[in-house]
Amino acid sequence: MAGSNEVNANECKMVVPLNTWVLISNFKLAYNMLRRPDGTFDRHLAEFLDRKVPANVFPVNGVISFDLLIDRVTNLLARIYRPSPPTPSDSQRPSLHADLQSPPSPDPFPVIIFFHGGSFAHSSSNSAIYDSLCRRFVSLCGAVVISVNYRRSPEHRYPSAYDDGWTALKWASSEPWLHSGKDAKLRVFLSGDSSGGNIAHHVAVRAAESGIEVSGNILLNPMFGGNQRTESEKRLDGKYFVTVQDRYWYWKAFLPEGADRDHPACNPFGPNGMKLEELPFTKSLVIVAGLDLTQDWQLAYAEGLKKAGHDVKLVHREQATVGFYFLPNTDHFYEVMEEIKNFVSSNC
Amino acid sequence: MEGEGDLQLPSLFSFSVLLPERACGEREGMGPYPFGSGTATTGWAAADSAPQCSASEIDGLLAGAGYRVRSSDLLHVAHSLERLESAIGGAPDDHLAFAEAVHYNPSDLTAWVDSILSELSPSLPPPRPPPAAPVVETWPDPTCSPLPYRQHQTAVVASTRQREEEGSAIRLVHLLVSCADAVQRGDSGLAWNIIEEMRVVLTRVNTGVGIGKVAGYFVDALCWRIYSPCSSSSSSSVSVAGSAAEQEILYHHFYEVSPYLKFAHFMANQAILEAFDGYNRVHVIDFNLMHGLQWPALIQALALRAGGPPFLRLTGIGPPSPDGRDALREVGLRLAELARSVRVRFAFRGVAASRIDDVRPWMLQVVPGEAVAVNSVLQLHRLLGDPGDDAAAPIDSVLGWIVGLRPRIVTVVEQEADHNRPAFLDRFTEALFYYSTMFDSLETGRGAARHHHHQQQQAVAEVYLQREICNIVCCEGAARVERHEPLARWRARLGRASLRAVHLGSNAFKQASMLLTLFSGEGYCVEEVDGCLTLGWHNRPLISASAWRADDDVAPPPDIQLFNTSMASTTNNSITISGNDI
Repeated sequence: MAGSNEVNANECKMVVPLNTWVLISNFKLAYNMLRRPDGTFDRHLAEFLDRKVPANVFPVNGVISFDLLIDRVTNLLARIYRPSPPTPSDSQRPSLHADLQSPPSPDPFPVIIFFHGGSFAHSSSNSAIYDSLCRRFVSLCGAVVISVNYRRSPEHRYPSAYDDGWTALKWASSEPWLHSGKDAKLRVFLSGDSSGGNIAHHVAVRAAESGIEVSGNILLNPMFGGNQRTESEKRLDGKYFVTVQDRYWYWKAFLPEGADRDHPACNPFGPNGMKLEELPFTKSLVIVAGLDLTQDWQLAYAEGLKKAGHDVKLVHREQATVGFYFLPNTDHFYEVMEEIKNFVSSNC
Repeated sequence: MEGEGDLQLPSLFSFSVLLPERACGEREGMGPYPFGSGTATTGWAAADSAPQCSASEIDGLLAGAGYRVRSSDLLHVAHSLERLESAIGGAPDDHLAFAEAVHYNPSDLTAWVDSILSELSPSLPPPRPPPAAPVVETWPDPTCSPLPYRQHQTAVVASTRQREEEGSAIRLVHLLVSCADAVQRGDSGLAWNIIEEMRVVLTRVNTGVGIGKVAGYFVDALCWRIYSPCSSSSSSSVSVAGSAAEQEILYHHFYEVSPYLKFAHFMANQAILEAFDGYNRVHVIDFNLMHGLQWPALIQALALRAGGPPFLRLTGIGPPSPDGRDALREVGLRLAELARSVRVRFAFRGVAASRIDDVRPWMLQVVPGEAVAVNSVLQLHRLLGDPGDDAAAPIDSVLGWIVGLRPRIVTVVEQEADHNRPAFLDRFTEALFYYSTMFDSLETGRGAARHHHHQQQQAVAEVYLQREICNIVCCEGAARVERHEPLARWRARLGRASLRAVHLGSNAFKQASMLLTLFSGEGYCVEEVDGCLTLGWHNRPLISASAWRADDDVAPPPDIQLFNTSMASTTNNSITISGNDI
């Protein structure tokens, strides 16, 4: 294996900046320490290693954040990000409860419910990398971003994460301050990267089934899979930070005991998938990194949506790796952010 | 969670203390990036640092991700990661050994990766370019603060489905802040009107839980401030604070019903244990003995130490007992009994002092050759003065003599809040949100059982917190002793006193996390922050634990302090209680 590892490192280095390479390799190293072969997860070490940031009601680049307990029973926390509220007459006085939960503008504004990635097991809504990303979405789109701290596997398997996503969506629908425009509508986008993208899809399905209107889905390298081993998995295995084996571990940790990867959670357009044709499923922006070994599944997902008659915009960044959206240091980053911005503004 | 359904009143939040600095190197939609996508065959295209930062500065983008890496070290870290990749095999098990290792300070990525490499091949030290500048463990300089967001705090708003109650709760918050504002401006007429209005609103909310309860305490505190403020350290502070004996009981109840003090003791003991490794004579100086709750665990851990326990001396500092009882001695006797039962040679000495700054080093009778641990749980903040008036405050001289004792370890536990802000309104609002989170955890954490006895304990524990609230809101000058400051500021202060952080590692973190999971409700969170640990509720840190040691090249202070006479209010109980010699 040593020989192929050298090849990996060299290929990898060609396509990402140095600091990105360090960041993602660091995650890879740390994550390898956390996954045990018996399917258990070293949660305590994971929490120790994860770099977190507190919320901040003082504006940073015009964005503030605060944590909210959405559901006491499940201890479901979410971090809310929003443009800083207009300062009261005494600008020294920090914002209060009411100011924070007030509409950011009199005009219609998007609400983005964001599900962080981490393959269902890693990260939190207060992880530094996701805090940065959510703040960027606020600035980019003038949005209120709700980053959901969903329950993670292996402690909480399917469907806990989806249930938490659904709770968050229902909560947002019941908050008057999140409704905007003359028709007082919740202009909500479901979004996420990796496992978060997967969660966004499934919550969107539930929304479509329940009559809650979603303005759009934004999926960044969404996590999907299946029993088959696809061509991209074979070609890219181990080459760009990710291995097929680790994907299998995460699915095993998330899916119900005994289920395989053709479970509809993992493979929504596979043999056990549900038919989406009849549903008023929302529009989707699907961003695929060409060096992500699971890209065949993501492309198949986009195809599946199209075949079911739903609106999909596919953005395929051929030279992007996983995690390209963590650091603002490549064309991939900026151009994808632009795509997201346009998608949100045209569907808000 | 049983029986929680109807009580969904929101708790409140607190704020950030300081504005962050923009991480250097951050670019917002500007042209070329610091590192191009490489096409060179040898490696990364541009291994130089970003044009905006010099090589010895921190990579701004990684800082945003929570990692502090000098741009000049990036290549080294990358190579280390590559070496690790090829050295650790591809099998899933191969990484597990590193999970069992103890990890420190993950933000210092360079050191972390190097430590794993040295775990792997201790005979092969990783090739390291000499550092461009000396490694600094603390951040004395705020102008290029690499991890800006760390300085900020926010607590949690509990969302409620009951609109009306939420409306009243929001109203209460507004009224409280307006009232505090009126008080700050000296408009007691307006303040009184607002208080009357708040009393009315309080009838509409449940004052047994959540915002209702906390708001009630703050309304009371405001009343007290308007009508009988205390600004001297005379009897008025005693009437607010109660007697020392009362205080001990309150503290004990707070210890029982919540994990904060248990966490603090646990972390401090871990650090002390490690620092005492290899020493046969050890001396712990406890800045606030109380009932000595921290020490049984340490005594037992020392008893089980490989190679046998050391001779343990404990010097317990506490207020004098007014009624002829010798409270310190009683605690010492109990601890001696325990030590005897586990065959740890033990000697206790009580030092009665109303204030830490009345203590003189000679009273502690530190003996050459013994390893000294100084333990301060929620005491150092009492030595602070008003910010900007630092010269008058005793903190620096106390830190000076602590360092002068040449301790092996100094353990510091403090509230993670900024309750020492000069403006009353700021202090008030910060405290409002801190204590609502704290109270919320008491009500909701698993410790909050429905049993009558436990509820009584909880009620008493709340009085402990209420006393703190009163001190913060009602008192000024020397009487205000609850001058909590956040960890970031303690780092700077302790750094100036030539103390360096001893990083608390993943083993301690893990144990603390596991204990929390076992004994307390979900919602508590332990976080690692640059080698220190915090415990909080729903992502809001409430208490911090850190460990320090003296810089080795600091000259000890002159010996003249040894001969100064003490302040009149200090008495000195030289009581030595020994366990049986084995």
